[in-house]
Amino acid sequence: MSAEASGADFILETRGAQHRLEAHVVTAAVEGSGRTAAFALGDGTVALVSLADPARVAARPAVHDGAALSLAPDSAPGAFLSGGDDGLFARLDATGEAAPLATWPGAWVEHVLAFPGKGPWRAAAVGKQVHLFDGGKDARILKSLAHPSTVTGIATDGKGKRIAASHYNGASLWFVAAKEDRPRAFAWKGSHTGIAMSPDGRYLVTSMQENALHGWRLEDGADMRMSGYPAKTKSMSFTPRTRWLATSGAEAVVCWPFTGDGPMGKAPRELAGGDAVLVSQVACHPQHEVVAAGFADGLVVLVEIESGRVLPVAEPGRGAVSALAWSPEGRWLAFGTEQGFAALVDFSSPPPR
Amino acid sequence: MPDTLPDTRPNRDTVPVTVLTGYLGAGKTTLLNRILTEQHGRRIAVVINEFGELGVDNDLVIGADEEVFEMNNGCICCTVRGDLIRILGGLMKRRDRFDAILLETTGLADPAPVAQTFFVDEDVKAKTRLDAIVTVVDAKHLPQRLADTREAGQQLAFADVVILNKTDLATEEELAALEARIRAINPHATIHRAERGNVPVETVLGRDAFSLERILGEKPSFLEESDHSHDEEVRSVSFSIPGPVDPHKFNEWISALLAEKGPDLLRTKGVLAYPGEDRRFAFQAVHMIADGDFVNPWKEGEERASRIVFIGRNLNRPQLRRGFEACAAA
Repeated sequence: MSAEASGADFILETRGAQHRLEAHVVTAAVEGSGRTAAFALGDGTVALVSLADPARVAARPAVHDGAALSLAPDSAPGAFLSGGDDGLFARLDATGEAAPLATWPGAWVEHVLAFPGKGPWRAAAVGKQVHLFDGGKDARILKSLAHPSTVTGIATDGKGKRIAASHYNGASLWFVAAKEDRPRAFAWKGSHTGIAMSPDGRYLVTSMQENALHGWRLEDGADMRMSGYPAKTKSMSFTPRTRWLATSGAEAVVCWPFTGDGPMGKAPRELAGGDAVLVSQVACHPQHEVVAAGFADGLVVLVEIESGRVLPVAEPGRGAVSALAWSPEGRWLAFGTEQGFAALVDFSSPPPR
Repeated sequence: MPDTLPDTRPNRDTVPVTVLTGYLGAGKTTLLNRILTEQHGRRIAVVINEFGELGVDNDLVIGADEEVFEMNNGCICCTVRGDLIRILGGLMKRRDRFDAILLETTGLADPAPVAQTFFVDEDVKAKTRLDAIVTVVDAKHLPQRLADTREAGQQLAFADVVILNKTDLATEEELAALEARIRAINPHATIHRAERGNVPVETVLGRDAFSLERILGEKPSFLEESDHSHDEEVRSVSFSIPGPVDPHKFNEWISALLAEKGPDLLRTKGVLAYPGEDRRFAFQAVHMIADGDFVNPWKEGEERASRIVFIGRNLNRPQLRRGFEACAAA
């Protein structure tokens, strides 16, 4: 295999552990301590891998009766939050033990999110509601935030003070700790299908049905429109200091500059393009100005945004990349595909072997 | 416009979606349960919009919200079902669990946003295909519903298959009159009579009615619509030219027509002969959203006529006829 390992699979073969999970990889996450990775799957199971032994699936509990739809690191290290189309919102520990936090029969738990810092919380988007839970031991429900139509994405700022939700005709921004719950409404006609909030808390960006992004600068409510995508953007990720927003939906990783007054009137940087294949997933490194990108043909690369330098991680051929996540310290990259391939790649230096 | 559209010929990797419409009380849920309980070997995922008093007996039942939104694409009547995009996307994550999807709409639903979702959304198009729109009407209440709701006519206009239900509640003469009424609205729909939704499952599933290959493939059973209908009523008009049309003239005419009259044109279908081209050009539109491509070749010795059918409101027959005839190739 050494001859082939000199190709685009070199990193995967020398630093990666590969898994055939035989089910659509819906999303991936690494929990807060950086010890365990998880892949939520279309068959309702969640595959857990200990990063001390990355070549083995440690547990694969059948968490959902249906498909798993959402997964995120829990507010407490060592665990995950999982949502499914069976209406179950569960906390899952590293051994695969699932504890239900809530169930909404007949509804889909499409988005889950937790904030691990000071004043921790957990959130689940179910239909038009975002339910907020205490992030501590008892995980009691704190409140339910109502929206005018189904919530299509949730996001928070770097400090966990606010939670933003996208829906028809705009986005709503809520203060997590507010006594009186009224959102700040950001209106823009159309179907907003996902949301990102900049870590510095200055910008909200939504993806739209019409192959474009819409954004708001929070200090003055200024609208921004970022268009020109050949396909829908399904994945957006800010770099840790809000210098760039990396996005999918084009045949290159489209990175919008957010320094200064934001991206208005500026051209995006288009990285790792040239193959006429759509970027399907992006995930910015938690520390460096580096973005991991997955393509519709299965190619996975890392790109240094300033220099545009591309490091291939996995070659095409294993299915469209549908999940991409970094561990919190940025050592591990987890990715998965629609065809059920999943991998964990160790970027520690010096190389592990 | 039509010649630049993507290839939409049915991809066999896609999951067929059958849409079941009909006003409240027509017997949609009875038909749905009938299909589900019949031994047909297909595993069906059911998407319903209201958990009514009649339960749906199936392993996989998903509730939808009928969340309609307008696309910001310049088409004033282009509305899409956002909840459907999400639900179909979610179902595709476990597509090995079912072979077909049945979508029941509410009694008051306009079928256009459902149909347009399958034309407009790239993910829905890539993973699923609209198999047919099946409209259930009941023999007792259809005339009244047509008189007092806009939706009843719209649901018939969009139908590929009409289930004329509760035939035990009407006489043979009444049924014949109802069928004539249905055909005046939609001459290309297949009509099946039923009592308690008792139709074979093949009449509902696996129709492939939106495939361009099958457009106008079946000869209408009732071509000349009655001219007694007033403008606000849904009806159909169809025209034929004995030879080929000029593709550029046709594109120009149909694009302008759909842009101007799109809100009134519910469904448009055509099969066209192009000069020096051995294949048929098939064309369909839902309001302003159009789709067209070359399909199977003309048969040996077959008359290469160009035909077009409009189903809608306020149709100006002479004007449409002149417009289409002016597209004839020189």
